[in-house]
Amino acid sequence: MAVADVAVAPSKSVSSSDGQVERQRLRTMLLIRRFEERTYQEYTKPGQKIGGFCHLYSGQEAISVGLAALFDKKRDYLINGYRCHGHSLALGMDPRLGFAELFGKATGCSKGKGGSMHFFDASVGNMGGHGIVGGQLPLGTGFAFAQKYNKTGGFTVCLFGDGAVNQGTHNESLNLASLWKLPIIFMVENNGVAMGTEVHRHSAETDLAKRGLGYNMPTMNVDGNDIDVFITEIGRAVDRARRGEGPTYVSANTFRFRGHSMSDSMATYRTKEQQDAARSRDPIALYSDRLIKKSLLTSEQLEAMEEEAGEIIVKAVEQAEADPHPALEDRFNDILAETYPYQPK
Amino acid sequence: MPVIEFREALRAAMTEEMERDKNVFLMGEEVGQYQGAYKVSKGMLEKFGPQRVLDTPISESGFSGLGVGAAMCGLRPIVEFMSWSFTLVCLDQLVNNAANVRYMSGGQVKVPIVFRGGNGIAHQLGATHSHRVETIYTRIPGLIVVSPSTPADAKGLLKSAIRCDDPVIFLESEKVLGDKGEVPDDINFTLPIGVANVERTGKDVTILSYGRTLIRAVRPAIKQLESEGFDPEVIDIRTLRPLDIATIAASIKKTNRCVIVDEDYGYCGMGVGIIGKLHKLCFDDLDAPIERIASDEIPVPFNHFQEEAMIPSVERVIEGVKEVMYRK
Repeated sequence: MAVADVAVAPSKSVSSSDGQVERQRLRTMLLIRRFEERTYQEYTKPGQKIGGFCHLYSGQEAISVGLAALFDKKRDYLINGYRCHGHSLALGMDPRLGFAELFGKATGCSKGKGGSMHFFDASVGNMGGHGIVGGQLPLGTGFAFAQKYNKTGGFTVCLFGDGAVNQGTHNESLNLASLWKLPIIFMVENNGVAMGTEVHRHSAETDLAKRGLGYNMPTMNVDGNDIDVFITEIGRAVDRARRGEGPTYVSANTFRFRGHSMSDSMATYRTKEQQDAARSRDPIALYSDRLIKKSLLTSEQLEAMEEEAGEIIVKAVEQAEADPHPALEDRFNDILAETYPYQPK
Repeated sequence: MPVIEFREALRAAMTEEMERDKNVFLMGEEVGQYQGAYKVSKGMLEKFGPQRVLDTPISESGFSGLGVGAAMCGLRPIVEFMSWSFTLVCLDQLVNNAANVRYMSGGQVKVPIVFRGGNGIAHQLGATHSHRVETIYTRIPGLIVVSPSTPADAKGLLKSAIRCDDPVIFLESEKVLGDKGEVPDDINFTLPIGVANVERTGKDVTILSYGRTLIRAVRPAIKQLESEGFDPEVIDIRTLRPLDIATIAASIKKTNRCVIVDEDYGYCGMGVGIIGKLHKLCFDDLDAPIERIASDEIPVPFNHFQEEAMIPSVERVIEGVKEVMYRK
């Protein structure tokens, strides 16, 4: 399956007559879910192969796949916090490279130097997951600055969690981006909780779209679980950015099905009722039901797609497991670009 | 060769490099319309326009990180800090992003950026505005740290820093911006990063220093030491990371004595890191313990006389040299 195909879908195209585009998006969402659930298993089973912090994206897939539908890999940039596996797969990363990175292997998408929180694929504009909450906002603003400086017509989507809205970089980046009319979308992936602190306990304003007010830019809430709505609404912000009219602030509202990281069962901050309610708006079920209703998908096709995603993941894990660890000496590589002493030629 | 001020040398370096490469741009607080807080960028807005000389809000995290992001996309930003002391509010952008992003991406991106501005104690700015940040940055793999002492070095090293594909921490001093010196006006003039300058050869003792301290404390001390019959070797370290330890060690093997003079604190300060390397390389060559002349272990006082008293003085350098030569 060519996961990469999803990202070449025409801008803002919510539907196609034969359902091919839709099914491809669904495939990618399924692949991300399978990837994350397998990651959960690999992390928690005896003989754990994944080290470090690890944050799963299950439940939020519509956002990353929706963004990929609007994304031009030749001129656009995506930058992210540490919950970054889904977006990387949505932009076409081979799951094998993802698992290899989780296992710290030389073949990993960041050569085993980044880990779960730092999936990079700069060749398609995926400028990384970033581990410090809010630390990536100024970087994304800089990508948009470069896009404007070079008049590329590209835009940057700068993703962060709802916890990041309280960091100082949030204020500084929003102000700079609007002051200089940079082509960027600041997108809170609002899953309702910053680690274990729910929005109403960490933000004085609980409508997070309003945290983008005061910067002279449009702000909006969008349903982060409905991929069709998401693509339509965000498509407008993308167009605005490409036209050179400046940034947009979005709260993409969603729910994560797993804990903040692997050690978190959500027991201290989420009731079973809340979790059940969220599961009833599972973005994948929401989308596949709609496609079936519209006769763009049959339940047999759905079953086959689920199976196919499962097979891809099984194979990816096998390959990543067989891949080599980096040589110990490789730890000294990729620090500096020049050799020293350095003098320009 | 033209004689120009230190600030003019910095300006010439930036101007020449911006003329040479359209990807180079300057941003910072008051660099444009105000003509630079210390007039380093005077006239550059008029010359290059507001697309390439950008006045920023007072948002060190925002604009330093913006610069790193722009560099990751192939631009070559020069980010001016009004004072390096202000970078304490944006350390994350410099240490986690500028220095680490290449490594954490497995080498997928480069960060060709220069951060520059005044470092250390200026004049009665008080404790918050007088930090010496060299050890904060010099200990970080992924960063290059340069601290020139003369106008010519400032120009040659800044031009190299701008063309370099790595993030460069460029430490100046407000107090020497008016110093004058001969500076080549050849646009191809550059100096190597990572090479110390032996500015006086001698046989008695190796004096290591850099930046403003070299000019204000070491050089006047040399004159007096010469008049008393001493023959010191003086090395301007110039690049703090990567350190040109070979040049330093070769000198100590010759002189067998070493005095390090810097404005940083003694404990965990810049000199300590250098001594750490020298112990290994030069232990058997030393005829006396390495002497450190550093600042007092106090917050920087506001009072002029107290402030002057806390930093390395000409007298303390002379005493230090006599100490290692057992000539007290």
